[in-house]
Amino acid sequence: MTDSKNHSPEAGSLEGRVFRPRNPKELAEAVEQAFDYRGDVTLKLRTGETIEGYIFNRTPTGSRPCLQLFPRGELGERIIAYEDVVSIAFTGKDTASGKSWEAWVAKKESQRRAESAQAAAEAKSRGHL
Amino acid sequence: MAVPVSQMYQVVKYVLTQKVKGVKRYPLVLMIEPLFRCNLACAGCGKIQYPEHVLDKRLTPEQCWAAAEECGAPIVSIPGGEPLIHPEMPEIVRGLVERKKYVYLCTNAILLERKLDEYRPSRYLTFSIHMDGLREEHDMAVCRDGVYDAAVKAIRAALKRGFRVTTNTTLFDDAHPERVRAFFDEMMALGVEGMMISPGYSYQKAPDQKNFLKRNRTRELFARVLSDRKRGWRFNQSPLFLEFLMGKRDYECTPWGNPTYNVFGWQKPCYLLQEGYAKTFQELMADTEWNRYGTGRNEKCADCMVHCGYEASAVEDTFGSWSGFGRTVKATLLPNA
Repeated sequence: MTDSKNHSPEAGSLEGRVFRPRNPKELAEAVEQAFDYRGDVTLKLRTGETIEGYIFNRTPTGSRPCLQLFPRGELGERIIAYEDVVSIAFTGKDTASGKSWEAWVAKKESQRRAESAQAAAEAKSRGHL
Repeated sequence: MAVPVSQMYQVVKYVLTQKVKGVKRYPLVLMIEPLFRCNLACAGCGKIQYPEHVLDKRLTPEQCWAAAEECGAPIVSIPGGEPLIHPEMPEIVRGLVERKKYVYLCTNAILLERKLDEYRPSRYLTFSIHMDGLREEHDMAVCRDGVYDAAVKAIRAALKRGFRVTTNTTLFDDAHPERVRAFFDEMMALGVEGMMISPGYSYQKAPDQKNFLKRNRTRELFARVLSDRKRGWRFNQSPLFLEFLMGKRDYECTPWGNPTYNVFGWQKPCYLLQEGYAKTFQELMADTEWNRYGTGRNEKCADCMVHCGYEASAVEDTFGSWSGFGRTVKATLLPNA
């Protein structure tokens, strides 16, 4: 029983937005948003480095709050301290957007079939069908 | 009796051992999500929406075995994503079976017939087939025509080769009780060992009153589905959990009962909510603020009556007292009382 119908709001995706927090509170809020986001983000660090990847965990409390990220194109994970983050850009596609049950039902039959066919084609191309 | 005696014995022995040791919170079923990639894109499924590079990540056999050993639960459920996509899944299953874990390999069965040669029948291995209803309802739920027929064909093939096969079904508010009952007839006619059912999880920031009504609707649905139960129907789950779904009894959530391990780590606090990850099972158990979760304590839990939170509660009820044990015996022998 793996199903869970995600009824999160369709509107208000953060895709394309950039957060430049001015203080630790705003930074913590931005990291929370990025942790909830089902897409890649791009972090700009104090060192000047930029990292694109998926934030899968964060530890907002303790003496040195940090986040964990799977960098795109790399195997391992990176641990980055909150204090090293200058900005967070929601650069990757929001993979959860438009995927709720309500959105599915609201779509026309033709759209549903096209979406389903595309998912099938992708799975087939990977040898998963 | 849907669950074999040997499995029941192991679970009873495990639970009683925890009680004798005085362990207050213990896991019953470990959920291992070895990958998030799937070959279906079911409407509204909240489990598989990740960037491609995350979908490409997989747990290794060693990680799965280590998780099972550290957790210690007697039952290991493997959902996903679609586990049969994982190229090392036969090895993962072999290792878990060697460790005498009762493995429920959850699959949509699209690839099952093709992959059956890679597995050996065992009392420790069950293919748990995702079936959300009769053909019309199932194909609608998985957003692809023909999946129901493929799954039925695969079930027949697996049964013919001597594998244990169960079905797992998620019901939502739009389910029609008579159709669901006809579906139960169909599955039992196929010869599956037992069926598992659960309401779906829907997270909605709604006023409490609305949530309350929603929970009531779930109870009404399951009462209509499970009342006047046919003798031939077998359920591979706690009879008290079924009574909970019907509104005959109330439980508090036991989120630690079904801990979840995946490519991110040990998921806090449960299979459905993602509030963070722990590096180890011990850290999950020690650092999670369990009192923050459950109906009445957290808006995300308001509507939830899902098996991963409440089946362990029902099992705890069974072994928590002689009266609980008596209730279980009665619910098993006289389900329509």
